[in-house]
Amino acid sequence: MKKFDYYQPESLKEAYGLMEKLNGEARFIAGGTDVIVRIKQGALHPDALISLRRISALKGLGNEDGLSMGSMTLFRDIERDPAIARDYPALGEAASVLANPQVRNVATIGGNLCNAAPSADAAPPLMVLEATLTIEGPGGQREVSIEDFFRGPGETCLEHTEVVTRITIPKKRKGTGMAFLKIGRVAQDIAIANAAALIVVENGVCRKCRLSAGAVAPVPLRLKRIEGIVEGRKIEPDLLDRVAEMVQEDVSPITDVRSTAQYRKTVSGILVKRAIKEALDRAG
Amino acid sequence: MKKLIRFTLNGHEVSAEVESHRMLLEVLRNTFHLTGTKEGCGQGECGACTVLVDGLSVDSCLYPAFEVEGKSVTTIEGLVEEGSRLHPIQEAFVEHGGIQCGFCTPGMIMSTKALLDENPHPTDDEIKRGISGNLCRCTGYVQIVESIRKAAEKY
Amino acid sequence: MTQYSFIGTEVPRPDASDKAAGKALYIHDMVLPGMLYGKIKYSEYAHARIKHIDTSRAERLPGVRAVITGYNTPEIRIGFIRDNMPLKKDKVRQFRDEVAAVAAIDPEIAEEAVELIRVEYEELPAVFTPEDALKEGAPIVHETDARGRPKSDNLVPVAWNFVAGDVEKAKQEAAFIAEGRFQTPLIQQSCMGTAGCIAEFDLEGNLTIHTKTQIPFLAQNDFNRALAAIGLKGKNTRVTVPTLGGSFGTGLDTHGYEYIAILLAYKTGRPVKIVLNREEEFTTLSPRQPTETHIIQGCDKEGKLTLREVRMVLDNGAYTSWGATTPSVMMLPISSLYRVPNVLYEAKIVYTNNTYCQAMRGYGNPQAAWALECNLDDLAEKAGMDPFEFRMLNANIPDDTTPMGLNITSCGHEACLKTVADRLNWKQKRGKGRDKARGVGMASLFHVGGSGRVYRSDGTGIIMKLDDFGNVSVITGGIEMGQGFNSALALVSAEALGVTPDKVTVISGDTATCPWDVGTHASRGAFTAGNAAIMAAQKARDKIFRIASEHFMPRVHYKLKKRKKKDPDFEIPDLDYNRICDPSEFELKENVVFLKEEPDNPLLRVSLEEILREAHYREQGSMIISEAFYDPPNQMIDMKTGRGNLSATYIFGTHGAEVEVDRETGKVKILQFVAAHDVGKVINRQTIKGQIYGGMMQGLGYALCEEYKTDKGRNLNPNFLDYKIFSAPDVNFPIHIECIETDDKEGPFGAKGVGEPGLVPVAPAVANAIYDAIGVRIRDLPITPEKILSALKKKQ
Repeated sequence: MKKFDYYQPESLKEAYGLMEKLNGEARFIAGGTDVIVRIKQGALHPDALISLRRISALKGLGNEDGLSMGSMTLFRDIERDPAIARDYPALGEAASVLANPQVRNVATIGGNLCNAAPSADAAPPLMVLEATLTIEGPGGQREVSIEDFFRGPGETCLEHTEVVTRITIPKKRKGTGMAFLKIGRVAQDIAIANAAALIVVENGVCRKCRLSAGAVAPVPLRLKRIEGIVEGRKIEPDLLDRVAEMVQEDVSPITDVRSTAQYRKTVSGILVKRAIKEALDRAG
Repeated sequence: MKKLIRFTLNGHEVSAEVESHRMLLEVLRNTFHLTGTKEGCGQGECGACTVLVDGLSVDSCLYPAFEVEGKSVTTIEGLVEEGSRLHPIQEAFVEHGGIQCGFCTPGMIMSTKALLDENPHPTDDEIKRGISGNLCRCTGYVQIVESIRKAAEKY
Repeated sequence: MTQYSFIGTEVPRPDASDKAAGKALYIHDMVLPGMLYGKIKYSEYAHARIKHIDTSRAERLPGVRAVITGYNTPEIRIGFIRDNMPLKKDKVRQFRDEVAAVAAIDPEIAEEAVELIRVEYEELPAVFTPEDALKEGAPIVHETDARGRPKSDNLVPVAWNFVAGDVEKAKQEAAFIAEGRFQTPLIQQSCMGTAGCIAEFDLEGNLTIHTKTQIPFLAQNDFNRALAAIGLKGKNTRVTVPTLGGSFGTGLDTHGYEYIAILLAYKTGRPVKIVLNREEEFTTLSPRQPTETHIIQGCDKEGKLTLREVRMVLDNGAYTSWGATTPSVMMLPISSLYRVPNVLYEAKIVYTNNTYCQAMRGYGNPQAAWALECNLDDLAEKAGMDPFEFRMLNANIPDDTTPMGLNITSCGHEACLKTVADRLNWKQKRGKGRDKARGVGMASLFHVGGSGRVYRSDGTGIIMKLDDFGNVSVITGGIEMGQGFNSALALVSAEALGVTPDKVTVISGDTATCPWDVGTHASRGAFTAGNAAIMAAQKARDKIFRIASEHFMPRVHYKLKKRKKKDPDFEIPDLDYNRICDPSEFELKENVVFLKEEPDNPLLRVSLEEILREAHYREQGSMIISEAFYDPPNQMIDMKTGRGNLSATYIFGTHGAEVEVDRETGKVKILQFVAAHDVGKVINRQTIKGQIYGGMMQGLGYALCEEYKTDKGRNLNPNFLDYKIFSAPDVNFPIHIECIETDDKEGPFGAKGVGEPGLVPVAPAVANAIYDAIGVRIRDLPITPEKILSALKKKQ
């Protein structure tokens, strides 16, 4: 394993200063459950790590006008937050099936997103919740929709010197239902495929539909074409079957040790279909 | 890069000069010779290295040692009380067949402690979720779950 | 029924407290003064010629104490047919081939040094399937055999054939025939504690090696050969075994890393430790042998089995370990599970450039059971019979001799089948859940239960040493690896000797102090050591009673006088206190010696420790130590005829599963699981359940998700992120275990071996249930959701 220096700045300013001083040979680290593993496997070779754990500006979970989470919010806290369980159950469910308790006790929502694994469990719920990420760097602050955040496996729109500071989710509308589903080889697994759905129903008709599928493309996907088909319609079995088929057309998964591409396609469609059904049940 | 870190280890104030790339597991085993905490995979998949940091279970193989500064760490050795008396959770594992080869046991017991400290009367599903980060190849988990159920009765 | 004091109780195991406290010492926890850390450089090719190894940069790295290769160390031949060497010269044949190794003052320097070693290769064409390896003109994995004679094909020179009756004729006469091809994958044992050792030499050239093994005495033999090879002929090895973090067959052979540690320790004069990390555990240990099986079974019109033909091809990998002998155990169920008169079995073992294989829990039986029991359901269907009724009709019976010459003594096969059918509510459920995609299935097992004579000796020694305080050291050659061996042995010893189990300490894992044992394998530990313990206990009791004959009455008198002193009202009874008793008058139970005739007389009782002290606190004293060597009444298989009564007794079991299949995702949900085992006799109810639960869950992993995946010989999933074993939330269904006691005449207090069987019939039971649920048969393990979906698609 490569040896690295480890810095623990107390503020973002200090963190930027360190990053500048280290000439980009450093890497930010949140909970470390992914970065440390990759260093141990020899897949990453940073000279230094800059830990974000002591920066209080990155913490805090608020639920006044929508949901606002500091990027260093632990999955543990998301999993246990009663307001999230009530208003954003898809997110709470994703948090509760991500890895295992020991990992959730240190892994952060920001870290999960910045790793940009196509299978990241936090991504599909945040996609359907239309989350906005606040990004900050030495040059200032900007806001990015989560849809525009991912660029490819392990790649995001972040500059090397930038940090995600906050994730915000708009206030939940009345009549909204949402769900997150995941399938793995065993109970504890990286997703073969995962999916989230958010539905707003008025008088039996779907007014709003947001769909996302993970682990089936280089980045977590929004399924906009299919959302357009669902919106304005009554959600009935025929429509759901059509959705499942369309998902198969819209995803482009790979084959790896966990699954073949073909199975991912099939099951991704099924998960999206079932997520819509579950969201619909909860929208009532 | 090296640093003197100070933390509470099983109730005692300790300090150690530690290199920046070291994980908590290495410090526990190599510096403090607390070998009850095991390394099963080194990648946070098996949970054999589970310890409590400020009461929360963590995989010490992925926990940068520098991060432990000022915190309180409990290892399996910290559960054994004066006169080599086992903690009620340890006792329950002994009594109810929750132990075979024993390599996963310290981590399993530390996860149980974290679980019962937060939720003293868990359902079977909550027990299974609580130890879902701890792999065991010997027992098939059945007698482990039973041990935890029994431990909870006394908790 | 005999009343036992301790046999059949449900008690904690003696090693549990230390393990719960984190005090048990595994190889990972051991540090010796001056110890160096070894690290191995492995091949970068599946098949290549080694052109040059440059170790100069590694040697120059500060902290490095030795760098070795096959070119600067003596040649040591290892493995079952000596076709392997710890450090490769000339050629590598698999990715895990060791080409160099270093010893350094800390593990990080050792790792860095290994990375500095440069090896130049010339890549060779390679073969990765037995099929390709058997083709004309295929690349040859070994150009010569172990004796240097040229070799022109890839067949491992270990052939297995068995014929009974006339299968061809039986085929013509059969009313129904079912034929199928079945596959099983590589499976990694996945011990939680990885493998490792520390080797050290004394100044006389004798070796001590602390290592993770199931066969300390065979390992001693192997290592002594290695000592001879390095010029230390006549020197000795002491093997000690620390606490084992699971083993499951990984410790059945000696390994390259052990010899490398020995070579490094010899070269440096320092203790050298090599412990595998998790990735090395996956990529450099030997997994379970994969198989391809072509099976045909037939029956008459009533459903009586008439024939079974099994042709198997095993991927040996690049070298030969005990995996190549697994057909010896496969032959058991193939010839003898259910009563079938005409049997043909043939196994070919083929060299490839894949990782070489070993045995894992079940020793070939899980592969055989997979083909047999799935195909049996197919045959039952062809015959129009219910699979349970079909099995009952053909079930094994007690006191039977099978075509292979296996003498079945006790047999609870029918009881196991019935138990499973009752528990699953078979009659109500079988064939009735298609609309809900629910089904039930069952499968049986037949395995050695009274050890297995794989080597010329199948014996085990026990020494019982009693001290002044009534403590008993039971010194055994067997190994505790998590299975509960020490617990079973302590209970059997206590029962047989007449002491309480807390007085017994089992001492094991040291070739210098423990008596010889062939190895802890084949579910034989409790059976063989238990029988030896009963023999040793009898000898110890004879000695104790001989001493008691002279000292019992005086001792009683002395105690009564003491009592009188304290309590003047007490009247000492008028007995002959100088009487010399006959040893046969005594009984010893729960640490107390008493007269058989007056077992309830509180005055005529002397504690064992008092008698023991009388033995040697005197002139011309003696001490109570007894020993026994038990070698079971069984036979080696005659390689020419394939016949021989391999085990002293056999075990039976039936598993049943109820499943529900998600037709859209292909996911299988286990709704309930039943395991009924003929165990002979329960020794410790807690540990026996632990063995069955544990084996069962490994079996479910084997059935549903475990697969050691490779691409051109390279492992693709060398970690628990990618190689999935069950975690606790996967065990989300009711499990019922039933131990059926058949009280075997060969077993210690009637017990038979039970270590491996829990794993054996799981996969076919699940597959048969899936077939009942959705009408598709998966023939290659694991039964993944995608295989189910594609089978469902094909069916439409």
